[in-house]
Amino acid sequence: MQIKKQTVPVLLFNDECGVCRSIAHWVQKSAQVKTGETRMIVRPIGEDPEELQSLHPGLDIWDAYATIHLLMPDGSMRLGGEAVAAVLRNLPSTRWFTWMFAIDVFGFRPFQAILNLAYAILAEVRPIFGCESCGTPGPWVRPIRWVVKSVASIFGESHQPVPSPHFTALPAKGRSPQTHPI
Amino acid sequence: MPGYKSNDRIQTVTASTFDRLVLKGEGPIAVEFMSYGCAHCRVIEPVLQQVAEMVESTEKIFRVNIGVERELADLYQIQGTPTLIMFLDGAEVGRDEGPSPIESNILNLVSQPYMS
Repeated sequence: MQIKKQTVPVLLFNDECGVCRSIAHWVQKSAQVKTGETRMIVRPIGEDPEELQSLHPGLDIWDAYATIHLLMPDGSMRLGGEAVAAVLRNLPSTRWFTWMFAIDVFGFRPFQAILNLAYAILAEVRPIFGCESCGTPGPWVRPIRWVVKSVASIFGESHQPVPSPHFTALPAKGRSPQTHPI
Repeated sequence: MPGYKSNDRIQTVTASTFDRLVLKGEGPIAVEFMSYGCAHCRVIEPVLQQVAEMVESTEKIFRVNIGVERELADLYQIQGTPTLIMFLDGAEVGRDEGPSPIESNILNLVSQPYMS
């Protein structure tokens, strides 16, 4: 398998998640520099495990959907909060404050730890915003999601009952999963 | 298409191989209709791998990625993922939508339709 070499970092995002798509759209816009070049490639994870592995041999499509992945030009891979820090470091509008993520106090990086925690919380609450592909909501998220769905149904957003709690129903129109341009 | 990991025990079938591997395949065959973007499929995957290993001498388990194989999903009226369909001699003999990701449950699901 031929590995595609990149000269800028590649951010993978979950195209089936509205929150992820919005963030990816913002990153893509922010990564543009005046010369027309981009500081980062933003691409959906997609459905082809082989194609993903052509970007990085250690890239697992299941893992890519479970947590944010950033593929660095040097061949390394950043995950979770570390990936978020690397993304911010590469964006012209945010890199000015990213020095703080490198602050090291006796082997502990407090600001990076806060970022890791913030990412973990965001990853947990994504299902609240209707992302069925972001993971099964944790016990503390389920009541909040139930409230959000109930409120949405009051305003006319219908939710089809599913035969099992372990089932992701496909949209009624066009059963195949949709892909959205960012 | 090879699996995503070298030790993948579940072969991916496509529209072009479905007929040969599933409909004309020998013995009991279970097919998981799934999508990589489906969180429930992600949860069930390691369990299904274990079950595939347990039954490999008697039964085959395949996956169909409905993100790619939309026609197969429509043909088998897949309403969501994961959906397990059990085949014998080309005919559907059992189906379960959103199976609970417990090993004994999955093992039961993929072997029950063939017990007589």
